[in-house]
Amino acid sequence: MSFQEKNITVTLVNFSLILGFYLIRLFQMIQSGSFNSTNVFRLWGIIIALAVIVTIAATVLTHIVSAIIQAIKTKGEPDIEDIKDERDQLIDLKGTKVTYFVSSIGSFLSMLTFVFGQPPLVMFTLLIFFGVVAQIIGDILRLYLYRRGF
Amino acid sequence: MGNRRINNNIRTLRFFQDEMTQQQLAKKVGVTRQTIIAMEKGKYSPSLELAFRIALVFEVPLEEVFSYDLENDVK
Repeated sequence: MSFQEKNITVTLVNFSLILGFYLIRLFQMIQSGSFNSTNVFRLWGIIIALAVIVTIAATVLTHIVSAIIQAIKTKGEPDIEDIKDERDQLIDLKGTKVTYFVSSIGSFLSMLTFVFGQPPLVMFTLLIFFGVVAQIIGDILRLYLYRRGF
Repeated sequence: MGNRRINNNIRTLRFFQDEMTQQQLAKKVGVTRQTIIAMEKGKYSPSLELAFRIALVFEVPLEEVFSYDLENDVK
């Protein structure tokens, strides 16, 4: 598995965990009757902060762990292929395209709930949900393309 | 547009260059080993720039490394 694949796998696991955390917190809010703007926007903040911090930390950690594993394997200076060549960039581009597509559909559906008389909170809740789901789908496509070759 | 219309002889050319490894070729042309593997399997068609760099490494004309399959061409 290449460095890019490891990186995507770690991001995919992170975003899946973040999605799980988001859904659990959301159901807890609905069950306890505390589904209000203050709590929902706080959760928004937590999710965005988590996504940024965890992604950066995971990338750094993947780099360090890969270097250690390779140093043990080769018993010398680690040589990690962390360069992004044209194939990596094309795979990244395809993943981003799908992410934006899913995100756009999600945004449209979220706004549609507002049109059909749902409170704005539902729209905002769905917006972040589709944002995270779009990222996960984009990462799955990237991994699939890496596994297939292109 | 077909996926497998561009064929290549990279594996053969590596063999005639003292069994040059995929890693060595990857380093010389500035890509990852995975990209060389994908090209040899016919899964990935390189950019024109990368194709020229590969031909320069083997010191052969471009058409000796890559060929275009006209039979599968979509009319």
